[in-house]
Amino acid sequence: MKLQHNLGGLEGLDPINTEVQVFVEPWEQRIFGIHTAMMALSNQLGSSPPQYAIEEVPTTFESFWTWGHLRMGAENMHPFEYFRLRYYEKWLGGISGFFVSEGYITQEELDTRTAEFLASSELAAAPLPQGGEPAIDEQVVKYLREGDSPMRALSAPPKFALGDQVKIKEVNSGEHSRLPGNLKGKIATVIKVYDNAFAYFFPTTDGIGEPMPVYSLAFQAETLWEATTTEPNMIYYNDIFEAYIEAA
Amino acid sequence: MPSNYPGFQYDADRETFSAAKVKALESLLIEKGVITGNTVDTVLGYFETEMGPFNGAKLVARAWVDPDFKARLIADCNAACDELDFPAGMSGAEGEHMRIVENTPAVHNVIVCTLCSCYPWPTLGLPPYWFKDPTFRARVVREPRVVLAEFGVELDESVEVRVWDSSAQIRWWVLPMRPAGTEGMSEEALAALLTPEAMMGVATVQV
Repeated sequence: MKLQHNLGGLEGLDPINTEVQVFVEPWEQRIFGIHTAMMALSNQLGSSPPQYAIEEVPTTFESFWTWGHLRMGAENMHPFEYFRLRYYEKWLGGISGFFVSEGYITQEELDTRTAEFLASSELAAAPLPQGGEPAIDEQVVKYLREGDSPMRALSAPPKFALGDQVKIKEVNSGEHSRLPGNLKGKIATVIKVYDNAFAYFFPTTDGIGEPMPVYSLAFQAETLWEATTTEPNMIYYNDIFEAYIEAA
Repeated sequence: MPSNYPGFQYDADRETFSAAKVKALESLLIEKGVITGNTVDTVLGYFETEMGPFNGAKLVARAWVDPDFKARLIADCNAACDELDFPAGMSGAEGEHMRIVENTPAVHNVIVCTLCSCYPWPTLGLPPYWFKDPTFRARVVREPRVVLAEFGVELDESVEVRVWDSSAQIRWWVLPMRPAGTEGMSEEALAALLTPEAMMGVATVQV
């Protein structure tokens, strides 16, 4: 398990940075837009409930790219690098690395052009190339409006019911997980069984992927943290996939 | 034994380098037909004009003046969004399954995503930096009152604090309390009082 799987409750950190801006540097907007376009053009959307005609979109992007892939990249970073880099710095490294590894661009092309912009403030301030197929942008907006719901029909009834005491399994987080690591082995109460089942973008080694029930669980703080380090009169809730839960 | 880890070192031209690299990437992707020259601006424009905290503010203001609507919003956030005149997309990307929780004199809710930065895009737009910061994500789940105090929110000991962590596909947000002194204000004026922070539980609404 990586440190970034296990942030909840970490002690010894700094006061909160209450920065309310979404982007603290203008360049961050660009990598956010690129990532969102990749999700909107991703090849699995052809089988997504909105039934996108993704194969007809005239983009050269042919890959499978979702939040799951972006998160997996961040979870596989050196844990100290994860903390050293600002949010969108992690995105820039992961996404540019993906385009190189998938052969869309070469590292040399990226490095050469980056060096050109660094060497010339005139080039760095020049407009981006224009043009392209408008149908690409139409698909991007269609994705933003219609989304990619992972809700599917239940294939089996939920194993647990409202009010049940349950225990979080001690699964290995692997390279990508949707289970906060500090919950492993802990006891919680089911406060809601969500309707239907929820898939994940791809199968993970820790057991999610296929559609399964999801539960809203309530954890008492004193079951998670040593009493003197937490606070009275609080409840911590988390939405947890059934694969991570066993009977208490 | 000293650590082998070289420490948190940053290049002096950290931002200049990132700006050049992202521009190099975007220009190459446009030339190679992955995206167009308008794609990124199209995405950014969508969040400036169509999906943003101005939508959440309208929903909260309506809930403050219409208790029946408030009940419907809490019971089924996505269905309640359809009652107002919003652009298409209120159940779109990162809003397919939203839930809102209500602050009262007895209960204060705060939202976090300890694993990443899950956020309800249609109602609140894109997440602010504080929400994405690992320090907030690590601390608020264990010591929410201390963290809220650092945001300027002081809660009485009698108030139950509920922390909601988004580890699956539900996108959470908060229905804040209507402040005193707003009796008779229009929905539009009430909506103008709301902030993303109030609608995620790290601020109260100020008149």
